[in-house]
Amino acid sequence: MSPAPFRVLIIEADSGEAARLRGLLEQCARSGQGIYAIDARLVSDTRRALDNYPQLLPDLVIYGPAATPWVTREELQRIRAKAGLEPVPILFVKSERETLGSACLQTGCDDILIKPYNPNLVQLKLAALQRFCDFNRSLVAQRNRMRRHHADLLHEQASARQIFSNMGQESCLDQTRAIRYHLSPRAVLNGDVLAAAYAPGGKLMLLLGDFTGHGLAAAVGAVPLTSIFYSMVPKGFSLCHILRELNAKLHRVLPANMFCCAAMLELDPHKHCGRLFNGGMPSACLRHGSGSLRLLESRHLPLGVLAEGQFEEAVVQFPLDAGDHLYLWSDGIHEARNLEGEMFGEVRLLEAMAVPVEEGGRFEHILAAVNRFSAEQHDDLSLVEVALAEVPSGPVTGIEMGAEPTLEIGRLGEWSINFTLGPEELRDADPLPLLHSVLAQVPGAAKFQDPLTIVLGELFRNALEHGLLRLDSALKRTDRGFAEYYRQLDCGRRQLTGGWIRIALRCRDRGGKGLLEVIVEDSGPGLPEDIGSGDRGTAYSGRGLPLLRAICRKLQLQPGSSRVRAVLDWGQVARRSRRQRELAI
Amino acid sequence: MAVSVRSGARVSSELSEGGDALTIRVCGNFDFNLHRDFQRAYQNLSPAPRHYRIDLSETLHLDSAALGMLLLLRDHCLGDEDDVGQRQVELFNASDHVENILLVSNFDKIFTLR
Repeated sequence: MSPAPFRVLIIEADSGEAARLRGLLEQCARSGQGIYAIDARLVSDTRRALDNYPQLLPDLVIYGPAATPWVTREELQRIRAKAGLEPVPILFVKSERETLGSACLQTGCDDILIKPYNPNLVQLKLAALQRFCDFNRSLVAQRNRMRRHHADLLHEQASARQIFSNMGQESCLDQTRAIRYHLSPRAVLNGDVLAAAYAPGGKLMLLLGDFTGHGLAAAVGAVPLTSIFYSMVPKGFSLCHILRELNAKLHRVLPANMFCCAAMLELDPHKHCGRLFNGGMPSACLRHGSGSLRLLESRHLPLGVLAEGQFEEAVVQFPLDAGDHLYLWSDGIHEARNLEGEMFGEVRLLEAMAVPVEEGGRFEHILAAVNRFSAEQHDDLSLVEVALAEVPSGPVTGIEMGAEPTLEIGRLGEWSINFTLGPEELRDADPLPLLHSVLAQVPGAAKFQDPLTIVLGELFRNALEHGLLRLDSALKRTDRGFAEYYRQLDCGRRQLTGGWIRIALRCRDRGGKGLLEVIVEDSGPGLPEDIGSGDRGTAYSGRGLPLLRAICRKLQLQPGSSRVRAVLDWGQVARRSRRQRELAI
Repeated sequence: MAVSVRSGARVSSELSEGGDALTIRVCGNFDFNLHRDFQRAYQNLSPAPRHYRIDLSETLHLDSAALGMLLLLRDHCLGDEDDVGQRQVELFNASDHVENILLVSNFDKIFTLR
């Protein structure tokens, strides 16, 4: 490709000198060696050059021998200002006899042509200047390209942030003061994701994730992650099931070198216990009201690394007490550096966690400690605090608290459903979401989803844990026993080879005030003799039984029988759920 | 801005006599800036080595991009159908700091750490 001609502007009042100079330049160009076409223009003085600059747009300016002695420094500066970013070299012509006075240097020209002209020398200079201008032009072009790309990138990132902030609106993060969080507006572009939603039955699910890498590539992974999270949690899928699904999906869609470190919390405010999965995130910190800290370290590979069959989702279980707080964070906090390049690290973080701080001020205290330490304001700090015992149970589906107790329910219909689950299903399946999805189709049932979820969940788990697996609830009285209990549950469930659980639901319509009967039965030897005596050692220990009694109109269980019958009022959900809430608080 | 301009990070590799084992040594910060060099160190070797050893003795820090690169290497090793199970990736001589990063991500479950 032949380049555009090299534009030379000759400023010279003496027309003879001007013509000679022009002739010389054109001769150099014709010789062809290292020089391409020259387009030489003439003007008589600097003022005209400045006036016509936009049309002339020179690549090189030469002051002729008659003009040179009169040029001032200011004039050269004005010409350079016109040239803007493009450095346009300015040459003077001097005769051999003239001494190169310092005045000439002070005006600030770039080079000098000596008269009488030596055509070879002039040609050499022109060739060098052309190369210099070409180089500069390509630099400016690259700079412009990068500017455009950068502007595009910022625009894309702004769109991405918008999309992600819209997606986040499904979260329940801002519905309670029990959850506090700090995510920078750039979080999603750093690969950090925070999602939270209530499951039916009032359980809170919260996930803090950190995708590998930065920028849009890190952000796109958040789309499948949050969409699965917000679709599965409200349907009542278990923590493990959701994690399995998230891992499988991310494993399928992410390139091999990308994954998502994640910590996921399930909090059951009714039963006062929490469960946490940590795959590749920094240790979460459980701070007891007493001030003691317990670290819940990562026990798993990040999500998206292992193929579907290899994923393990065993989680840590812990009981909740008043004043317990859980802290989750991404590695941005550990890696905040001070001026010496030293990282903030876990030790300093745990110090900030442990020192006595005014009630409710710890969250700010930790953030302030990191910001005080780090040399620059970090925009990739993610920190979440959950006041575990203060999290309210989820909102009652479809009904505002304090709403009119006389509800318009419409027809309920008469129907019944029976499920029988064998060892295969009980080993790893989670039957409750299936039941929920069936019940969601039943007219009016959506309004009763919460009490129903609690009742079904309680009865099913009791049938499984105590009826079939014969686990002893007394274990759960201590911290260590609590973990042991769930270890035994996990283990026993996996080795299950026989037995069954039967779930029967029957709805009776009594003119808008129906009754729902739930019967759960298992193949175990039946409830022990001291059932219902309030002793914490029994099958329905601790919180299970009072919770059921509070929700159900009638609860029938008999020692020696594995059959439990619960009857729910279909018509007075608002009252029931208020009671249920009081119980939970 | 992330502190990423740390000169001196580099990747070197050495094939054992007979081409059975490849040792890759990563000096300095093991991060995204090294991904080309790191991949070049193990790609296009014929026959492919059986053992891949990553020497982390000179590695100062390791970020999630580096973990991703290790996963790519693992995929590369497991990619060949004919002798899966024969091949292994071993990470050795990690400093406490680097080892801690590997352990937090539970990479000891899919790599041999020494």
